Amino acid sequence: MNPDLDLTLERVIRAPRDAVWSAWTDPSRLEQWWVPAPTVCRVDRLDVRPGGGFVTRMSDDGARFVPHMDATFLVVDDGERIVFTTAIDSDWRPASPAPVLMTAEITLSDHPDGTGYRVVVRHGDPAARALHEELGFSVGWGSVTEQLAGIVESRAVR
Amino acid sequence: MAQYSAELDGVLVALADPTRRGVIRRLGRGPKSVGDLAREFPMTLPSFMKHVRMLETNGLISTVKHGRVRTCALSPDRLALVDDWLAEQRRIWEDRTDRLERLVTDPTEERR
Repeated sequence: MNPDLDLTLERVIRAPRDAVWSAWTDPSRLEQWWVPAPTVCRVDRLDVRPGGGFVTRMSDDGARFVPHMDATFLVVDDGERIVFTTAIDSDWRPASPAPVLMTAEITLSDHPDGTGYRVVVRHGDPAARALHEELGFSVGWGSVTEQLAGIVESRAVR
Repeated sequence: MAQYSAELDGVLVALADPTRRGVIRRLGRGPKSVGDLAREFPMTLPSFMKHVRMLETNGLISTVKHGRVRTCALSPDRLALVDDWLAEQRRIWEDRTDRLERLVTDPTEERR
């Protein structure tokens, strides 16, 4: 864990482990919580095995869908652990640094009140983070792309 | 917004170089003298100093000279630009986990 780059969250979910596992691995259930409403999520690929694809799209109007995430599962321990990364896409092609390079590890464990739920997300380097920090402010892709293009172009002519 | 963009430009340019990112990472473990830092990078001291000055100009690090030794340290306020981004990612995952929890604890949800 690198506290400057990574995040961890832990919860106890008051439901059995198999219910939590199925919410992760059944596309029709994953679609219900993966992105915040009113945005609609569609799961294109959910091949929950090491090397399998994890592809989601999203839509504001429920008709026109745009890419949301294109990732690959690295580790799948049935009922216990899922690890996926956006560093390579679902065709195993090294990914461009958008929307966010990360490796997420989700671990389920038995707990007297239900399921121990732990998420560890490891992120890419600070340059990518600085870029996405601006995205976080909802400035929009257009102005960020313009700004970045401006920087790259001004560096190129130096 | 223009002010913010200008600051972000500076941060992006400063971070768009592997040596400067290396310096940031190294200083993440604590302040270090320029001499000690420079030994970890395969270049001449004058070249390395250009990178240090660029990081300092853009406010990512601060340097203080005590006698003959110049010490570099990360500037937490400028790096807060970056910390806020991590907070945003945390919020995304917290919200996502809230929604997952609501789904699996919903008594009307049919168990599959």
